[in-house]
Amino acid sequence: MAHISLKNITKRYDKVAALDNVSLEVNDKEFLVLFGPAGAGKTTTLKMIAGLEFPDEGLIRIKDEIVNVVPPANRNVSMVFENYALYPHLSVYDNIASPMRSSLYKESEEYIKEAVHRVTKIMKIDQLLDRLPSQLSNGQRQRVALGRCLVRKPNVFLMDEPLAHLDAKLRHFMRAELKEMQASFNTTTIYVTHDYMEALSLGDRIAIINHGKIVQIGTGSELFYTPADEFVARLMGEPEINLIDGAVSEERGKWNLRLLGRKEPVTLPGDIAERLAEKNVSDVHVGVRGNDIEYSLEPKGDGWFKGSVYVLEPIGNRSILTVIVEGVKIRIIAPNDFKSEMDQDIYINFHIADAIFFEQATGKFIVRHKQEELLREESKCLN
Amino acid sequence: MNSIRIRHIAAVTRNFLLAAWALFALFPIFWMVLITFKSDIEVFSTTFIFSPTLANYHAVLFRTNYFKSFFDNIIVSTGAVLVSVAAGVPAAYALARYDFKKKEDLAFTILSFKFAPEILVILPLFMIYQKLGIFDTYFGLIWVYQLITMPLLVWVVRGYFEDISVEIEQAAKLDGYTWYEVFWRILLPLIKPGLVSSALLAFIFAWNNFTFPLLLTSFNVETVTVASLKYIASDTVHYGQMAVAASVAALPEVVLALIIQKHLVRGLSFGAVKG
Amino acid sequence: MENSTEKPTAAQKRAGAAESELIAKATRIPWLVKARPYLIMAPCLLITIGILYPFVSAIFYSLTNYSFRNPTWKFIGIENWVYMFTDVEFWHAVFVTLQYAAITTGAEMLLGIGIALLLSKNNAFTKILKVVLIFPLMIAPVIATLIWQLMTNTSVGIFEKFLNIFGVYGFTWAASAKTALFTAALIDIWVYAPFVIVLVSAGIQSLPKSPFEAARVDGGSAWFTFKTLTLPMLKPFIYIALIFRLMASLQEFTIIFALTKGGPGNTLMNLSITGYNYGFAFLKFGQSLSYVLILWVIINFISRKLVGKYLLTQRQAAGKEK
Repeated sequence: MAHISLKNITKRYDKVAALDNVSLEVNDKEFLVLFGPAGAGKTTTLKMIAGLEFPDEGLIRIKDEIVNVVPPANRNVSMVFENYALYPHLSVYDNIASPMRSSLYKESEEYIKEAVHRVTKIMKIDQLLDRLPSQLSNGQRQRVALGRCLVRKPNVFLMDEPLAHLDAKLRHFMRAELKEMQASFNTTTIYVTHDYMEALSLGDRIAIINHGKIVQIGTGSELFYTPADEFVARLMGEPEINLIDGAVSEERGKWNLRLLGRKEPVTLPGDIAERLAEKNVSDVHVGVRGNDIEYSLEPKGDGWFKGSVYVLEPIGNRSILTVIVEGVKIRIIAPNDFKSEMDQDIYINFHIADAIFFEQATGKFIVRHKQEELLREESKCLN
Repeated sequence: MNSIRIRHIAAVTRNFLLAAWALFALFPIFWMVLITFKSDIEVFSTTFIFSPTLANYHAVLFRTNYFKSFFDNIIVSTGAVLVSVAAGVPAAYALARYDFKKKEDLAFTILSFKFAPEILVILPLFMIYQKLGIFDTYFGLIWVYQLITMPLLVWVVRGYFEDISVEIEQAAKLDGYTWYEVFWRILLPLIKPGLVSSALLAFIFAWNNFTFPLLLTSFNVETVTVASLKYIASDTVHYGQMAVAASVAALPEVVLALIIQKHLVRGLSFGAVKG
Repeated sequence: MENSTEKPTAAQKRAGAAESELIAKATRIPWLVKARPYLIMAPCLLITIGILYPFVSAIFYSLTNYSFRNPTWKFIGIENWVYMFTDVEFWHAVFVTLQYAAITTGAEMLLGIGIALLLSKNNAFTKILKVVLIFPLMIAPVIATLIWQLMTNTSVGIFEKFLNIFGVYGFTWAASAKTALFTAALIDIWVYAPFVIVLVSAGIQSLPKSPFEAARVDGGSAWFTFKTLTLPMLKPFIYIALIFRLMASLQEFTIIFALTKGGPGNTLMNLSITGYNYGFAFLKFGQSLSYVLILWVIINFISRKLVGKYLLTQRQAAGKEK
C-alpha cells in the first residue's frame, strides 16, 4: 500500500526521449490505468517504478522515499509482464512460490503452500500445479503470471498489458474477473493497456500517455466528455469521434458556426460563444460522436446535410454507418435493423449541443456545451 | 520412363552414394580397431579373418607410459575447459546482456583466436614460457589451450544467454533475488544443456590438439597425441600396438560426441547456426 | 521559496542545500552498478590480453635477429622481411599454402554439400548416418594421419591389398612428390568433410517449408527449386562452413607435419611448416616470425572479405537485400 510519485521523469535511449518530463501522482490504493498507443512510453514508465531501469532526470518516490536508484529487489514491487516471463524450468507451483523463496521476502514452506493454493484457486488453475509453463495454454500462463504477482503484499502492483495475448473471448472474461478482484486488492495498482475498453472498465483514473508525455489524467468520464485534445478524443469511443472542419465568426452579436464549408450558419449557444471569444479562434474542429448525429433516408429540411452511404457495418447489437458528406467520411451509430444501400442518398444532422470544440491549429480542447454540469452529473452517477 | 521408375532409380543411386561415402568415412576406424586385436605376424598375413589377441593392448597400456600420457591429456584438457568456463560464462553473459564500448570488437577478438595460426602463437610462447619457467608444465598448456576453448565457450554460451528473454531475469529481480541467486537459480539451469555440450566439444578439441603439446612440452607433460607421434616415426613393426595407441586415444571423443549430438551444430559453428 | 520578496534566511539556505544534497545522493547511480559489466568480463579480459601478448611480441621479435642458438640479439629492422620476400622458398610456401587450402576446402565444400543434400531425405538409414558420419571429425587429426599411414603402408596396409586387385602395385602415397599432396588432402578431407556435412545439414533442416510447398503447387522442377530456393537460402550456412574450413586449412600444420614434415623435398612446405622449420630446426626465431606473420595477414585479409560476404548472404536469405 503506497503512494507513488513521479516528478519530471525523463529517460533517454540513444538521444531519443522515451519519457519526456513525465509527472504522475498515484494515490494509495488507487487503480490507475496507463493508456496510450504502442511506443508511447507505458512500459518504460513501469520499468522506472519497478527499478528495472533508472531515470536520467527527475525523482521517483514510493511512500515518500526517493527510490531512483534503489535496486528492483528492494522496492517491494510486484509485476505482471506482457509476455508473462514465467520460469520455464519451474512448475506452476514453484513459479508462484518463487517470490516467497527469495532471501528478501522469505516465508515458511507452510505459509507458501497455503498462499499458493489460495491464489491458484481464485485463478482457477489449482489443478495445474505440477505442470511446466510449456505445457500450458496462453490463458493458463497468463493466470500463473497474475498469480505470481498477486501472491505477495507489495507496495504496488504493476501490470503490463496482461490481457494482450489472449483471444477476444478470454480477454473479456478475464477483464471481468480482474474487475471483481480489483475490489479486494487493497493495493495501489498501475495497469498498462492499449485497449480503451479495459481502461474505462478497470481504472479509477486513466493517464493518457503519448510520445513519452502525459497528455491527460482523469476519470473515464472526464476523458470521454472533456478530452484535452483531439488525440484523446479519438482514443476514446467506438466508433472513432468525427472531427469536422468548422469556421466560426461573429455576426451582429451572435456567434455563428459554418460546418463543412456550408454557407448557412448555425447559431452557437452562449457558453460556447463566450469561450470562443475568449480564445479568439476562428477555425475549429467540431467533434461529434457517432450517437449524436441524426440521420434519415428522406430529405428533412434545410439544416440537414446531404450525403451518400459509404458502408454499413453491423457489429453485433448495433451498426456503424459510414456516410460521405462533402467528401468527408462521417461515422454514425445506427440500430441493428437499419437497412440501406451503397451510394444511397442520406441526410444527416449534427447535435451541436453535444459537440466538442477543438482549436484547428493546435488540436487542443476549447469547450463543450454545459461542460461543468455534465461532469458533475456524471460523477454523481458513478457514486 | 515414368516418374515412379525415375524416383526408384534416384533412391537407389542416393543410397548407393551414401553407402560409398559411409564406407570411406567409417572403414578406416573399423579397420584400425580390427588391427588392435591382431598379433604382429597376422597383421602381415591376414586381412579380415584372424585369431584375436589382447597382446597389443597389454604391451601398450601396461608396458609403456601410455597411461601417463592419457592422464596428462585428461588433466590439461579438463583444466583448460574449466578455466574457460569460469572466465567465459560470465563474459558470455556480459556480451549477451550489457552494452558497453568496444563490445563487438572484444567479442570478435576472442573469436579471432580460433583462426590464428598455431605456429604464430607457439614461436613467441616457446621463448616466453622458458623465460617464465612454465615451459613443459600443465599450467603452460592450459593457458595456451584457451585459444581453443575460450572462443567456443564464449560465443556459444552467449547465444544461449541471448535466447533467455530479459524479462525472466527482471521477474526474478522483482521477486527479491540478488544477482547471485538469479544466476544460480534461474540462468544456470536454463543454459545447462548448452553449457555442457559446448564444454564437452571444447574438451574434444583440446584433447585432439597436437601442435601445442608438441612444441611447448617435453618430458614432464606428454599428451596422447604427441605420444602417438612416437609410433608414426618409428620403424617398428608393431603395427598392432600403433593401432592400440590410436584407438585408445581416439575413441573417447567418439563416445563424447554421441552424448552431445543434439547441440553439436551450435557448438561447431560457434553459435552461428542453431541446429 | 514562494512568492516572497524577502531573501531566504541562512537557516532556509542550509535546509535547501541539505535537501539538494540528499536528492543528489539518492539519484546517483552507484559505481558498482556502472562497473558491473566490466567486472564480470575481467577474468576473460585478462586471459584475452594474455593471449594477445604473443601476437604483439611476434611482431616485435620479427624485427630482431633473435636466435635460440645464442643469447644475444639486436634489432635488425626489416632485414628478416627483406630476406623472406626475396627468398624463392617463401613464394613456394605461399603457393603450397594456397594450393593446399584451395584443394582441401574446395573438395570438402563440394562433398559436404552434396552429401548433406543426399542426407536430406529423412529415413532410418539417413538418421543413423547423420550420427555416425561425425566420427572422423572427432578423431584427432594426428591420429587420423596415423591411421591412414597404417592403411597405406605397403607391407600391411589394406589399401595396398585393395589396389593389388586392380593391378596397381606400390602406390607411393606420401613418399613421392607427385602423390604427397593428394595423400595429405585425402586425410584432411576424411577428417573435415563431416564438418561441412553437419553444418549444411542443419541448414537444410532449418529451411522454412512454405516456399517449397508453394513451388510445388506452382509446378517448379527439382532443379529450379534447387537453384532459386534451396541454394540462396543455404548460402549463410555454406559461408560459415567455407570460412571455418578455409581459415583452418590455410594454416594446417598437424596433418602435414605428422605425414611428411613438409616433404618429400618441399612439396608440402606451407607457411606454417616453413615457419616451424626456421624456428625449431634452424633455431632462427626472429626470421621464422616473418613467415607466420605473413600467413596471419593472408588469413586476416581473406576472412574479412568472406565475413563481409557472409553477413550479406544472411541479409539476402532473410529477404532484406537483393
